[in-house]
Amino acid sequence: MNSILDLILRLDCWLLLAPLLPGIINKVKAWVAGRRGPPVLQLYYDLARLWKKGVVMSTLASPAFVVLPAVTWVAVLGAAMLLPLGPLGAGLSFRGDALLLLYLLALGRFCTAWAAMETGSAFEGMGTVREVSYAVLAEAAMIAAVLSLSVQSGSISLAAMLAPAMGASAALLAAGLFIVLLAENCRVPFDDPATHLELTMIHEVMVLDHSGPPLAVILHGAAMKLLLFTVLLVQAVLPMAHLKPLLAAAVLAGGVLAVTVAVGLVESLLARFAFRRVPLLLTTAFLLCLFALLVAWKGGLP
Amino acid sequence: MSGQLLVAAIISLGLAVVAGVWWPRVWLGLTLAGAVAALGAAVGVFATGAEWEWKSAILLGGDAVHMRLDGLSALFVVLTAVVGAAGAVYAREYWSDARYPASAPRGRAWWSGLVASMLLVVSVSNGLHFLMAWEAFAICGYFLITLDPKRPAVRAAGWLYLAASHAGTVCLFGFFALLAAKTGGWELGPRRDDAALAPLFWLALAGFGVKAGIFPLHIWLPAAHANAPSHVSAILSGVALKMGVYGIVRFSGWLPVPAAAGWVVTGLGAATALLGIAFALAQSDYKRLLAYCSVENIGIILLGLGGALLARTHGDAAWGRLALAGAMLHVWNHGAFKALLFFGAGSVLHATGTREMSRLGGLWREMPWTAGVFALGAVAVAGLPPLNGFVSEWLIYLGLFDAVAGKQAPAWAAMPAVILLALAGALALATFVKAGSMMFLGAARTKPAALAHECGGWMRGPMLALAGICLALGLAPIVVWPALASAAGAWHPAWAGAKLEAPLATLGWVQLGLAGLIGAAATLLWRKVRTNHLGRGPTWDCGYAAPTARMQYTSGSFAGLAAGWFSWILRPMRTLRRPRGYFPAAAIRLERVPDVMLEQLILPVGVRVMQVSSAVRRLQHGRLSAYILYVVAGLAALGLLVLLESMP
Repeated sequence: MNSILDLILRLDCWLLLAPLLPGIINKVKAWVAGRRGPPVLQLYYDLARLWKKGVVMSTLASPAFVVLPAVTWVAVLGAAMLLPLGPLGAGLSFRGDALLLLYLLALGRFCTAWAAMETGSAFEGMGTVREVSYAVLAEAAMIAAVLSLSVQSGSISLAAMLAPAMGASAALLAAGLFIVLLAENCRVPFDDPATHLELTMIHEVMVLDHSGPPLAVILHGAAMKLLLFTVLLVQAVLPMAHLKPLLAAAVLAGGVLAVTVAVGLVESLLARFAFRRVPLLLTTAFLLCLFALLVAWKGGLP
Repeated sequence: MSGQLLVAAIISLGLAVVAGVWWPRVWLGLTLAGAVAALGAAVGVFATGAEWEWKSAILLGGDAVHMRLDGLSALFVVLTAVVGAAGAVYAREYWSDARYPASAPRGRAWWSGLVASMLLVVSVSNGLHFLMAWEAFAICGYFLITLDPKRPAVRAAGWLYLAASHAGTVCLFGFFALLAAKTGGWELGPRRDDAALAPLFWLALAGFGVKAGIFPLHIWLPAAHANAPSHVSAILSGVALKMGVYGIVRFSGWLPVPAAAGWVVTGLGAATALLGIAFALAQSDYKRLLAYCSVENIGIILLGLGGALLARTHGDAAWGRLALAGAMLHVWNHGAFKALLFFGAGSVLHATGTREMSRLGGLWREMPWTAGVFALGAVAVAGLPPLNGFVSEWLIYLGLFDAVAGKQAPAWAAMPAVILLALAGALALATFVKAGSMMFLGAARTKPAALAHECGGWMRGPMLALAGICLALGLAPIVVWPALASAAGAWHPAWAGAKLEAPLATLGWVQLGLAGLIGAAATLLWRKVRTNHLGRGPTWDCGYAAPTARMQYTSGSFAGLAAGWFSWILRPMRTLRRPRGYFPAAAIRLERVPDVMLEQLILPVGVRVMQVSSAVRRLQHGRLSAYILYVVAGLAALGLLVLLESMP
C-alpha cells in the first residue's frame, strides 16, 4: 500500500510539476524585460489544447514518426524514476543506475533525432546534426560529473551518490552541470526556445513537423527533462541526507526554484552564442567536471 | 557428451564442404546440423561446468591431436555456430545459384570450411594444429571475400586481407615456436606460473591484433568488409575478428603477462574505440561504416579485457571479473547486432545496387522489414537500453567505476577509459542515426532507391532471428550469466564460481519493464492520434513551397560537424569549387575520407621499400663482365680484410 502511495506521489511530482518550470522561466524573462508575460501555467493550457488536436504528418514520414515521441517520453520518465527525489528517495535504486540514467537520456535523443530525420527536411537535418554532435561533448561532461560523484561517495548508485555533500568540488561541479543543463535542455546560450524558424536552432527545429498529441508528449517530455537536470544539479551540490523529510523537501523545492530562476536570468541577460563557440562552452563544462573529479579524488572518502 | 557433439559438428561441416558444391539443400541441412551440434556442445559445457578434454592417438604433423573445450572456448563456439547458421540461410537467397551460378557453389563450400576451421581454432590445444586451423580459416576467408573476383576492388581487398593476415601469422609463428622452444613441446595449456613466458604476450598481441583489427593494425578491415558479399562481411565482422580476440584472451589467460600488459591493452582499446567510431562516422559507404564500427566494438572489448588484466596484476580485484564478463558478453552482442546490420546492409545492396548512402533514402516504404530490423540493430549497436549493447557496456562501466573507486594505480587507466567509452558511445549514436536516416528515412535521392524491393523470406528469417537474440539478451541478460562466469573462471581460476557482483537480474527486469512501457505508450499515442485525426501533408520547410529530395542532408553534411573535430586524423580530401559571379554555374564540394593508416602510413612506406629495392636491382643486369668484376672486387675486399686482421 505504502509503495503504491509512494509511486503515485512520485509520478505526481514528475508528471504534474514539470510543466511548471518553463512557465517560471518565461515569467522571469518577462519580469526582467518589464513585461507581464504569459501565465505560469501556460504550458498546461498548451498541453491540454494540443492533446485534443489532430495530427498532420509529412508524406515522407513513416508511422514511427508519431510513436517515437512516446519512446522518448518513456525514456525520460524512466530516467526520472531512477533519480532520488529528496526525502522520497529513488523510485528504483541499484548499483549502476547512474549509467542507466545517462543512457536512457541518450535513447531519448536517438528517438528524437530519428523522428526528425523521417521528414527529410533540411532544417531538421541541421538540428539533428547539431544535437547529436554537441551531445558528444555534453556526454563527456556528464560522465565526468558522474565519475566525480562516484569517487566522492564510493558508490555507483544514484541514491548513495547524491546523499553526501560534494565538499570542495561542489562549485566546480555545479558550474559544469549548469552548463550541461543549458545545453541539454536547449536553453540560451546554446539554443533559443522562443523561436523555431531560424537556421540556428538545435532542438526546436528538430520538432518542427510534429503536431497534436505527439507534440504535447514532446513538450511534456522536455519539461520533465529540464526538471530532471535541475533536481540532479541541486542534489549533487546540496547535502540533504541528514535533513528532516519536510525540510529536505523544502530545500529541494527551493533549490529547483533557484536554478529555474537562474536559467531565466541567463536567458534574459545573455544572447545566444555563435555556433563555433558552442563546442568551446561545452568543453569548458567538461573541464569543470573533470576538475571536480580531480578535487573529489584528492578529498573524497578514504 | 559435449566433446562428441563438437566432433560431430566439425565432421558435419566437413561433409558440408563437399555437399556445398553439388547439393545446396543437403549442404544447408548439414551446415545447420553442424551448428546445432556445436551449440549443444557449448551449452553442455555451460550447464555442467565441466571442461572437456580429448587426447587422441592420431598423429598430425608428428603431434597427437589434442582438443579441449572450456568455458572460454564454448563462448566462441556459440558465436560461430549462431552466425554461421544464420549466414548459411541468408546466403541461400542473397548469393543464390540463380544470380551467381559460377560462384554460389564455391561460396557454400568455403562457408562451411570457414565455420569448421573457426570451431577448430577455438578447440584445438596444440600450437602446431592451432596454426594449421588458423591458416585454413584465413584462406577460407580469402576465398569468401573474393567470391566475385571480376571486380578489381574485390581482388585488391582480398589481396590486402591475405597480406595483412599473413603478416599477423608471421608473429603467431614466432609466438608458437618460441612457446614450444621454451616449454619443450607444442602442447598448449595453462602455464600461469612460468614467468619466463610473459614477454611472448607482445608477439601474441601483435599477431592476433591484426586479425582482431586493433587500431593501427586494422588496415585490411574496411576494404575487406565493404567488398565482400554481405553474408561474408557479417561472419568476418561478427566472428572472424573475434578469433583475434579469442587468441588474445586465451593466451593472456593461460600464460603470464608482462606487468605493462593491462595498461597497453586498455590504452589500445580506448584508442581503437574512439578512432574507430570517428572513422565510421565520416564514411559515406554504409558497409565501410559498419566495418569501422566493428573496429570500435573491438576497442570496447579490449577495454574490458584491459581492465581484467589490470585487476589481475593488482591483487585479483573483483571488478576485473565484471569487466571481463562485460567484454565477453560484448563478444556475443557485437556478433549478433553486427551480423544483423550487415544482413540489413546486404538486403539494401541487393535491392538498390549501391553502397553510397547519399544515393539512397526513403527505403522504409519499400523495405519495411529491413528498415525495422536495421533500426533495432542501430539502437543495439549504439549501446542504448533496453537492448543487449547496453548490458555489456554497463558491465564494463561497472568494472571500470569500481576500479576508480578502488583508488589504486588502475584508477588512472580506468578514469580516461570511462570517459572515452562514453565519448565513443555518443559518437556511435550519431553514426547510426546517420546511417539509418540516410538509408531508410526521408525521400529517395535516386531512381534505384525509389525502385527498391523488400528481400525475401530466406534473408528476412535470419535477420529476424538475430533481432530476437538482440532483444532477448537485452531483456534477460541473467540467463547468460553462467556462461560468462564459466568463461571468466576459465580465464582466471581465482574468479571461478557463479558469484555475481552486479545486479544483472534487476537490470533485466528494469529493461523488460521499460520495453513494456515503451510498447504501451507507443500504442496509446498511436490510438490517440488515430481517434483525433491523422492527415498527411508535405514536409514543412519553413514556407518553402517546392522542396526536392536533393535538399536533404547527405552523409557528408551529417558527419561534417563532429568529423571536423577529428580532421587531424581523418585527413579528409576535399574538392571544392565555389559558386562564382552573379550567375554561378556548377559548384562542387566533394569530401572523401581515406583509409588514413593504409594510404598515408603503410603505402608510402611500401613505396619507399620498392624504390630502394629497384635501385638495388640495377646491380643485376645480366652482363657477365660486370659480374666477374663483382667477384674480383669481392675477393679483393675479403683479401684486404684478412690482411688487416693478420696485421699486429
